[in-house]
Amino acid sequence: MEFLTEFPALGRRDLRDLRLAIDQSFKNFSREYGEQIEAIFDPLLQFLIGFERLLQSTPWPVFIAVVCGLAWLASRSIRIVIGTAISFYLIGLFGMWEDTMSTVSMIAVSTLLCISVGLPIGVLMSRSDRAQSIVTPILDVMQTIPSFVYLIPVVMLLGIGKVPGLIAVVIYAIPPMIRLTNLGIRLVDSEVLEAADAFGANPWQRLIQVQIPLALPNIFAGVNQTIMMSLAMVVIASMIGVTGLGQPVLKAVSNQYLAMGLFNGMAIVALAIIFDRISQSYGQRLQKFRQNGQ
Amino acid sequence: MFRQTAARLAMATAGLVVSGAVLAGGHSGACGKVTIAEMSWASAAFLAHIDGIILKEGYGCDVEMVPGDTVPTTTSMAEKGMPDIAPELWANSARVVIDQAVNENRLVKLNPKPITGAGEGWFISGAIAKAHPELKTVDDVLARPDLFPHPEAPSKGAFHTCPAGWGCEIVNTNLFRAFDMEAKGWMPVLPGSGAGLDGSIARAGERDSAWFGYYWAPTTLIGKYGFQPVDWDRSYDAKNWDECIALPEDQCDDPKESSWTVSEVVSLATIDFASKAPVAAEYVQKRAFDLTLLGKYLTYMDANQAAGEDGAIEFLLQEEAIWQQWVTPDAAQKIKAAL
Repeated sequence: MEFLTEFPALGRRDLRDLRLAIDQSFKNFSREYGEQIEAIFDPLLQFLIGFERLLQSTPWPVFIAVVCGLAWLASRSIRIVIGTAISFYLIGLFGMWEDTMSTVSMIAVSTLLCISVGLPIGVLMSRSDRAQSIVTPILDVMQTIPSFVYLIPVVMLLGIGKVPGLIAVVIYAIPPMIRLTNLGIRLVDSEVLEAADAFGANPWQRLIQVQIPLALPNIFAGVNQTIMMSLAMVVIASMIGVTGLGQPVLKAVSNQYLAMGLFNGMAIVALAIIFDRISQSYGQRLQKFRQNGQ
Repeated sequence: MFRQTAARLAMATAGLVVSGAVLAGGHSGACGKVTIAEMSWASAAFLAHIDGIILKEGYGCDVEMVPGDTVPTTTSMAEKGMPDIAPELWANSARVVIDQAVNENRLVKLNPKPITGAGEGWFISGAIAKAHPELKTVDDVLARPDLFPHPEAPSKGAFHTCPAGWGCEIVNTNLFRAFDMEAKGWMPVLPGSGAGLDGSIARAGERDSAWFGYYWAPTTLIGKYGFQPVDWDRSYDAKNWDECIALPEDQCDDPKESSWTVSEVVSLATIDFASKAPVAAEYVQKRAFDLTLLGKYLTYMDANQAAGEDGAIEFLLQEEAIWQQWVTPDAAQKIKAAL
């Protein structure tokens, strides 16, 4: 009976040795290769710092004008443009401009990184079922593993600061980009592809000129999701030293500063809504254009 | 409410009288039931189990461990007389309760300094302390930002401050201004959370790299990686601290250089324990650790993922010369036999 009620677990000593061995081998790895890995990420760090400095040193009217211009180009909706201007004005009015710039630069860099890494992986997945069967479970793990679990090794390896924070954000935010790129390309009509083949397109032309353009609405839905998920990670990333709107939120949480938490939380929400509306309406415009063209 | 308290007081007084009577007529071997507070952090658990083993084996006490934390344990000791001993108690966070109970003769700071060097402050990593033995005081360290390059601005020195929202964050921010550290080429690193701060220390320790910042001792991390406290080399001015340094930045216009406020770490005991077992109480008075010794056993516990009891047994087995000075020869014999 005891066999049924007590699970035949490893002995306490074995488990302890196993845990110690795993910890030790990770520490050895970090000792051995930490410096090199840091060196690999150094250009990324410089880029992040440079981009943040650029945003923080840009005069605020210029920044608002540029963002509103982008919003207009993407959405052609005057409501979105006005909403964007008002949101940024309020953020500045409540003294959160600098933190917001840090967060915007973090989100921008992480989105760029997600697109530039996620798009090729998504394309690869769409072209090979084997790649899809390998990548999908990895994406599942990335989306569900509690972020604190990978924050510990990332801090051991890269310390605290921008780069480890960026990596934590990218791990969490990249899966929708990959998934939706894959999906978008797989959903392209096979008849359209036949037509492309009939015109003598080589695989590269077929991908660049037919598949990706037709998959763009889906890809943009992926970009949109990636931005949203990066913003959701802002507070958690600030737990390992990322500056920005997350730090005051953490401060507010541990001191029960209601107003401080609310202001900074609302600023994150405002950024999320702005980015969401802009990227979504751009995606919709792409779709409309396609429908009109047909 | 009042009647309850009065009744409890009366009972406590009666208990004192009775135990005094027993003591007067009895012999020193009988120590009776002793409850020891075992706090949630490693060094306190280690101390609690050393006390537990020594009192049980050496003085024949009937020892029981009671899990606790600073404020609830202190309150319970003051109000209920239980547990009897808190071996490592950080008195700053329960000062009002302790002072009142000590004045009313219910509690006693049996050992005012069980751990020399315990407290908060600024530390440098062991590797940098070894490579640059000249870095002793705050001024020595602040003069060399080049030794601690900031990851985001290598020309500046990295100062690891406290996570956002902790009380010490305010203090560190003000001290950063008081020591004019920005002009001296320093830039704060914001760890964001306790885990972040711990992680940065562990990383510097594992890599033998430079680290300078805020932490406290005795802790496993400080002991394990051999981090060294930086000497403040300054006097402490309570007025400057209470009215400026400890207040948020906008309420502290002119912070002055200061050492960190002294963290009072004591072995607190009930009067009851001190009077009913004076020989055992004498042991608690004599028991003293320094950070190096404590760090050695915190490291042992960490490396073996061992609990406080395992660490205590290891200490008693290895460091006989040290603990024999704390106990009577008779008790030493018994403890040795029991081990």
